[in-house]
Amino acid sequence: MISSYASGLLADTGIAFIAALSVHLVLAVGQLSLGNAAFMACGAYVASVLTVEHGVPVHAAIAAGAVVSGLLGVLVGFPALRLRGIYLAMATLGFGEMTRSFFLTLDATGGAAGYSGMQRLSLGAIWAWALPLLVLVLLAERSRLWLAMNAVRDDETAARLVGLDAVALKLGAFGVAAALAGVAGGLFAHWHIFIEPSAFALERSTEMVLAVVLGGSTVALGPLFGAAALVLAPEALRFIADWRLAAFGGLLIAILLVRPQGIIDRRLIQALKP
Amino acid sequence: MLAVRNLAVRYGPIQAVRDLTLEVRPGEIVALIGANGAGKTSAVKAIAGLLPHTGTVSLGGQPLPRRAEYALRAGLALVPEGRGILGQMTVAENLRMGGYARRDRAGLEAAMEEQMRRFPILEQRRDKLAGLLSGGEQQMLAIGRALLSQPRLLVLDEPSLGLAPIMAARIFALVEELRATGVAILLVEQKARQVLKIADRAYVLETGTLRASGTASELAARGLLADAFLGTVTQAPPPA
Repeated sequence: MISSYASGLLADTGIAFIAALSVHLVLAVGQLSLGNAAFMACGAYVASVLTVEHGVPVHAAIAAGAVVSGLLGVLVGFPALRLRGIYLAMATLGFGEMTRSFFLTLDATGGAAGYSGMQRLSLGAIWAWALPLLVLVLLAERSRLWLAMNAVRDDETAARLVGLDAVALKLGAFGVAAALAGVAGGLFAHWHIFIEPSAFALERSTEMVLAVVLGGSTVALGPLFGAAALVLAPEALRFIADWRLAAFGGLLIAILLVRPQGIIDRRLIQALKP
Repeated sequence: MLAVRNLAVRYGPIQAVRDLTLEVRPGEIVALIGANGAGKTSAVKAIAGLLPHTGTVSLGGQPLPRRAEYALRAGLALVPEGRGILGQMTVAENLRMGGYARRDRAGLEAAMEEQMRRFPILEQRRDKLAGLLSGGEQQMLAIGRALLSQPRLLVLDEPSLGLAPIMAARIFALVEELRATGVAILLVEQKARQVLKIADRAYVLETGTLRASGTASELAARGLLADAFLGTVTQAPPPA
């Protein structure tokens, strides 16, 4: 029997992994989003309102939250994807803060006081979302479509010259990424059974990016390792009490100095193959 | 084949190309030559759908789409200046990308093998990252990749740029070989004398304006090449 402490860590890892996958998808087309927590918030609030106030089954509500987040992602993507690099990062950061402020002032979902009343999901239910999504993204990474996305990341003009619709690929990736963040939000809401706008602030978005950078951005296992490291490492360092967050920061720097490409990359996977 | 009428390209207040009219017939190699800043690259980028422009561009009698990804599907493949290699992908992946828009996916593998036979060095480097290839190898990869889209017109922008003379000569020999496959070629170059040896006709651009056109011998006879590259020479006034 798994302890509630351990199941809490595993659930948070699963949720953080799905959230990090959303950043992984956006990075696959060469974009950097610092606003994915906004899509997570959207998924969390939509799914919660559907289960609490309309009696919708929880998994259907999470799926609905994902669809709404995905559509919002496409809507935001149209203007935002005209920007690149640091400018897109700043624009998505602005969108994230705007969304947080929206939920902060929205009385219907409790505003700053937050929203509750959800039924708690099991740990198994969280990983029943996380594992198929991992398999789906791993399969997608072997497809022509993923190659096309990476071509856009490498050189958008060159990608257009081989016939790739870079705008559609970026928009599609942004939309699906937003939907994934929405799933993470729905699961977060139904695991913690309480949500508030501050749970989806800039810190959450940067955690998502950090999980991918730390774990590795070339393969979907990277976000999984990154999310696990972000959730589990601070716990493993509890024995040094007050110094643990400082030590965690030092550990992050050390990992990235040794493996700037992240913990997992294709070369390592090839090397580990028998 | 390719018909360009009154093409004009502006970068804000700067007019890079004005009133350019040119034609490439089936099976021809046509050169677009001129000095640095003459507007050659802007002209072919506009033709290929990478730059907004005015004027008309048609291929095979049909207006060419104004977006590069759709111009390729209509039969125009551009190998850009700088080659446009996807450096983080392998040679094989780059070639596979070249056939992305093809409908006969079954034929793609066979066509890839054909390009590997045409460029044996690419076969040897098949699983290497394209960014690690030499300049000449990258140029071969870029041309091989463009051919995989089965273009009716291949546009090559400065294919000899940055290459050693021996490699540049190989690239020009390759362009001449390609003529035999039936693809029409629009070749943008600064190395005018080398290009005119293989081109059927040439257009000379000077500060965005078409200055002359004709066969290589016609252009040489009219003494226009030096003018286009060195500026128009005017007779100095006699000393007082």
